[in-house]
Amino acid sequence: MSNPELTKTSMRDDDGVLGDAIRKIASSVAAILTTLFGLLLLTFIIGRMIPADPVLAILGDNFDQVAYDRVYAELGLDRPLYEQFFSYLQSILQFDFGQSNVTRNSVAADLARVFPATLELAILAILIGTVMGVPLGIISAVKRGTWVDHLGRIVALLGYSAPIFWLGTMVILIFYANLQIIPGGGRVDLYNDGLVVGPTGMLILDALLAGEWEVFWSAVHHITAPALLLGYAAMAYLSRMSRSFMLEQLNQEYILTARAKGLGERPIVWKHAFRNIRVQLLTVITLAFCGLLDGAVLIETVFGWPGLGQYLTAALFYADMNAVLGAVLLIGLISICINLLTDVVYRFVDPRTRS
Amino acid sequence: MDRRQFLTGVAVSALVAAMPATAFAATPPDQLVIAVNMGSMRGLDPHEANQIESAEILANLYDRLVYFEPDGLDAPLPQLAESWAVSDDGKTFTFTIRDGVTFHSGNPLTAEDAAWSLVRLVKLGLAPAIDLRQWGYNEENVESLIRATDARTLVVELPEAWSPSLILGSLASSACSIVDRAFLADKEQDGDLGRDYLQASDAGSGPFSLRTWRANDVMMADVFADYWNGAPAMRRVIMRHMPESSVQRLQLETGDLDVATRLSSTDLDVFEKAGTIDIQKVQGFGFYYVALNQKDEILSNPQVREAFRYLIDYEGLAATVMRYYGHLNQNVIPQGMPGYIEDAPYKLDIDRAKELLAQAGYADGFSKVLYIGPGTPYFEFAQSLQANAAAVGIQLDLQMGDYLSRFRERNFDIFMGRSGERLADPHSMLQSYATNIDNSDGAPLSGLLAWRSAWDVPAELQDLVFAAARETDPAARAELYTEVNRLYLESSPALISSFERFDVKAVSQRVSGYIGHPAWLTRWDKVTKS
Repeated sequence: MSNPELTKTSMRDDDGVLGDAIRKIASSVAAILTTLFGLLLLTFIIGRMIPADPVLAILGDNFDQVAYDRVYAELGLDRPLYEQFFSYLQSILQFDFGQSNVTRNSVAADLARVFPATLELAILAILIGTVMGVPLGIISAVKRGTWVDHLGRIVALLGYSAPIFWLGTMVILIFYANLQIIPGGGRVDLYNDGLVVGPTGMLILDALLAGEWEVFWSAVHHITAPALLLGYAAMAYLSRMSRSFMLEQLNQEYILTARAKGLGERPIVWKHAFRNIRVQLLTVITLAFCGLLDGAVLIETVFGWPGLGQYLTAALFYADMNAVLGAVLLIGLISICINLLTDVVYRFVDPRTRS
Repeated sequence: MDRRQFLTGVAVSALVAAMPATAFAATPPDQLVIAVNMGSMRGLDPHEANQIESAEILANLYDRLVYFEPDGLDAPLPQLAESWAVSDDGKTFTFTIRDGVTFHSGNPLTAEDAAWSLVRLVKLGLAPAIDLRQWGYNEENVESLIRATDARTLVVELPEAWSPSLILGSLASSACSIVDRAFLADKEQDGDLGRDYLQASDAGSGPFSLRTWRANDVMMADVFADYWNGAPAMRRVIMRHMPESSVQRLQLETGDLDVATRLSSTDLDVFEKAGTIDIQKVQGFGFYYVALNQKDEILSNPQVREAFRYLIDYEGLAATVMRYYGHLNQNVIPQGMPGYIEDAPYKLDIDRAKELLAQAGYADGFSKVLYIGPGTPYFEFAQSLQANAAAVGIQLDLQMGDYLSRFRERNFDIFMGRSGERLADPHSMLQSYATNIDNSDGAPLSGLLAWRSAWDVPAELQDLVFAAARETDPAARAELYTEVNRLYLESSPALISSFERFDVKAVSQRVSGYIGHPAWLTRWDKVTKS
């Protein structure tokens, strides 16, 4: 039955498809690796250019030259710069991010501890921001020029323009110091600290999994204010963006046609216009989420949240280059992953990308 | 209200109702919560850590041979050493180790542990090793000089004779903490003497043992029930990383915190006026100084150096930004120490400074860069100096940031900083401010402020500093130091001291027995709470 000719052709075709896919993946991987390499090189160079001396940061202020020389050599600073960079690259390839001068732990262990704290905060914040911001933006666009639109604008403007550390301080002043309805910082009450460890590092989830209700409520209690504030900032951005995306769609001719057909307002907005802004929305939500991962540093400081932002800041202050490079690499990797993931999701929401 | 709204309402109310109300209770009566900036802490190996904040933790996890009360820095008291004797030539100390002391591991503490610990400090050769190295110990000689002759006898021989107060002062420092040798033996990796393990664990015999250590986050220590001097009242002590003054202040006000250590002058002012929080000014064995680089032709002119002393607004600063963090002192020995003199001959005097500059040949002034550390009080201090200097034609370009490495490399014009020592003896300051035995660029003396300033210290002054350090008679020593102090001032030094350093702690009135220790050894074992 088999037609050798046909089989040959189809095999050739398969080859072509497979080859295409491999080529595509290879070029993606190459792009990712180049990006990461560039990121590392840049961070490394900047790190060596800042006038902070890592040896001094380790030694404190009272020491003699012998101790200085010893630590200088221990850190490998007596070797030429390119050699330091390549030996760092070499260890990275073996998934060894080195040791942090500040915490004295391996950078990988530190990141595994601080990153889930930031991730937990960022996920909650982006949920709050999306759930509140997108509808607000769409309603503002639909009810353009009415009091709803004006209110939305004022709310967003405050979120946009008020510095988040100031908002955070005000929230602490009012809700912690005066009203005493939120805790004064940290991830959990001191008395519940250390009761739940792992597996995800996200305390709320871990406490839930372990059935530790007191820890769970304490964690929820602690995350509420910072997550709401970050969520508010994300909401301000997302509501403005969704408003302008929506306005653009509502001015299109197909909407006019839909209206002419006598379609109701709801289907016009949600079935027609909203479908067409999903891709754009996904892009800005992704951007906002990436921003939350590395941009939460001010809120982390105000609320004493032991996350990636705080870790990175401390590392920068004390010229702890292994920690800085590790954190930057992680943020870079996560951003790339999120963008890749978004590309995949695009395929589901936008039929044009499937072909 | 439709069904969905109703359900949401119920869910939200349930959530709010379920939140525990206990979160707002003040700290428990058997736990002490201290806020610090943990940013500079680097692990908890007592023979490696060199920061004032880590020293407080080490002071409580470990014991030392001797100790000093915060208000009795001239009277060494027995801690792990029950008693000691000093040989007639002042070169041999024999300590009798207290019987019945155990480490947190349960191991008995012996003279061998003590000897091994001091040898370990010198052999690791890290920053705190200076506490023994400065008396002539090194990797080669330490094992033969510091040794246990039996389980309870420790012999500490000195390479050369020094005043006993210097040696006992050094042995009381957190750097000379006694560690558990047997316990560390199997924690050793690649001959690191347990250094890696001790970064985040303890091997001590102190009144508290380490429970949790997360860098830049939290430290928790639990009471050691078998402590030889009786178990402390606090069941647990918690140290939290809180770099912001305003956050510390709020938490202290609401009762979530017992001790704050990083408050700004503004926040301290509020507490002082309200009288609700106790403010402790803890002497810091160091000075706020302005260093003039002596490699600079203009700044090395004695009259120019002298002129700078008239450009500091001592009174104005003392009443404002230095109110809590400094004590006016234009000499080089802190108050309460042998040789301290109260004279403060300098005051802000623009005309006198002008006159001196004219005599030096710089009537039209000059321009220099002034490097300062970040934040308060450096900034306010430097601004005031800049304004006064401008009045005599000196243009100071302020550069704020981490410029310590520039200072260490002698690559600066003017540098403003502060020093702090943990040895409660005039020598620890004088060694840095008034000795410089080799003023060449490559000399291994970058730890000394005088060397960093490239100041060729007058031989007479320098010799006197060393003579005083070797003097064994306390009365004669005090006299020598008075002379040193006077000579320092007369030499119009390259390092202009203006204020003695103080560190401030704000302590809740519920707490008693928490007393800041000027030699970095604040203990928690006598703390009680109401």
